[in-house]
Formats: sequence, C-alpha cells, structure tokens
Amino acid sequence: MKKAVWSGIVAGGFLLLGASSVFAQQTAGASVAVTATVNAKAKLTLGLAAVTFADADPDVTPLYTSAPISIDVKARTTAGSNVTLTVLATQDLTSGSDVIAINTLTWAASGTGFTGSGSNNKTTAQTLGQWTGSGSPSGSHTLSLPNLWSYATGTYTATLNYTLTAP
Amino acid sequence: MPRTVPLFLVVLVIVAASGLPAIAQTSNATLNASVNGLARLSLSSAAISFPDADPDAVPSIQAAPGAINVTVKARTLPGGTVTLTVVANGPLRSGIDTIPASNITWGATGALGSATGHLSAAVPQVVGSWSASGIRTGTQTFFFRNLWSYATGTYTLTMTYTLSAA
Repeated sequence: MKKAVWSGIVAGGFLLLGASSVFAQQTAGASVAVTATVNAKAKLTLGLAAVTFADADPDVTPLYTSAPISIDVKARTTAGSNVTLTVLATQDLTSGSDVIAINTLTWAASGTGFTGSGSNNKTTAQTLGQWTGSGSPSGSHTLSLPNLWSYATGTYTATLNYTLTAP
Repeated sequence: MPRTVPLFLVVLVIVAASGLPAIAQTSNATLNASVNGLARLSLSSAAISFPDADPDAVPSIQAAPGAINVTVKARTLPGGTVTLTVVANGPLRSGIDTIPASNITWGATGALGSATGHLSAAVPQVVGSWSASGIRTGTQTFFFRNLWSYATGTYTLTMTYTLSAA
C-alpha cells in the first residue's frame, strides 16, 4: 500500500514537470513598416486685408498709424532651410496722377524672427521676417505714413503683396 | 442399487451453473493527447503609410490601409496570460531628422478592446491582454500627429509585435 502511494506521488511529479515544460512561455512576432511623408508647405495669414488712413489735420496727427496687423506664418521645409517673408508694393500710393512715394509708408513689426522696422518698396521685395526650418511663428506689424501738408488732395491707394517662401 | 439423486439437488446445480460467469478479460488502453503551448500572430498588412496633408486641414492623418486586422491564436495553461505588445525600433527617421514614435497613436476594436494608445520606442505598449487559450481578432487603426514643425522628408520606422502566451 505504501509503495503504491509513493509511486503515485513520483508519477504525479513527473507529470507536473512535463506539463511545465510543455507550457513554457510561447511567443510569436510580426513586423509592420511605417512610412510618413512630410512635404514642403507654406501658409500665410494676415489679420487684415485692407488698411485705411482717415483724413486728419497734419498738425494734430503728423503720422498716420494703422492698427496692428497680425501675421501668422506656417512653413514646412527641410531642416536648416530659411523661411522668408517679404513684402512688395505694386506701386506708389497713387491718386490719379498724384503720388506719394511708397517708401514713406513704413512698418514696425514685433515677434520672433520679424524685422523690427522697414520701408516699403515697389521694385525690391523687402524682408519682413526670416526663420530657420519648419515652424509656425506669429507676430504683428503696423503701417505708418507721414501726414504732410504737401500732399495733393485725393484718395491714394497701393497694394502690398506679402510672399512667404519655404524652400 | 442405483442411488436416487434428489430433485432439489439437480435444480440447485442447474441454477448454480447458470450463475457462473462467462470467461472475461479486461484490458486498459491509455490515450495521450498532447496539447502544447502555442502562440500565433497574423497581421493583415506588413506596411502602413501616412500621406502628406495640410496640418491645418488634417491635424491627425489616418494611415493607409485604414486598419490592420490582428488575429491572435494562443494555447496556454488555464488562467494563463496572453499578451500582445508593439514597440517601435526608434523614432520616425528621415536622414538626420526625427519625429518621436509617440506621435503615432492608435485606436482598437474587437477583441483588442476600445483602448487607444501611442507608439513607443522605449517601452513595448500593450495592444491586448487576455486570459486562457483561444482565438481573438480585432483591428488597429493608426494616426499620425500632423504638425507644422516637422522638417520635410520621408520618415520610416518599424513596429514589432510580440505575442506571448504564458
């Protein structure tokens, strides 16, 4: 009787040993290749599409100044490349045959990467901001025009074209 | 003088004879069925890709194909744990430019549950976990955070799935 009990215990032990080896941790694996395409992009948003200076007494208001115009720049480019924002006037401020030189229309800008101040030009694009690499900087600028007694009366207009370049 | 056999004795003998067992033989057959531990993993696609898109219009890009079908087959001890994990081999890389692997997120359905997660290159992320043997199927849909700050390029990494049954 004793012998039978011990035989059973031994057999059970072998069975357990066998089971633990059979059910050792099993693993399986698989791989997935992932690709993400990031192309160059540039997006420019101005807070205002038009600026108007209302008539004013030159002695009282010697300098017209616009409200701040927000500038949102978004660009994707290769690492280390320059992202540039320029502005170019189509013409002088013109009213019929009368003109006010466009370079008297100046700007003052704030924000990282923006050129602090400058004058508009109708022949050479002026750099309003420059950054390195991708990103989405933002800032604002104001436009100012001297209010001189020498101006002929009229409604003067010009268009400023802003260009954002991300190579 | 012949001896008379009592009738009751004859009857007793007949009755006793009819109660004798027929010749019987017993034999044991042992049936062994081996059920070993086993793990098998099937994915419907070996590659996914995220197309380029405007970050303002599509801030989160869904991968193509839309979803990966995941089939898990596992044999383990009763109450054993079956776990499916995924890990990236590094960040998304395009030359020297990188995007963290964590910018890839996923959503799951079916047996994978409704949990969401993000990829990691450092720690394997659990996609699903179950108890005991069985077949489980589900889908995993991947998304890519589409940011303006990325440098242009074609970025790649490899995701490795590991199914373990213990």
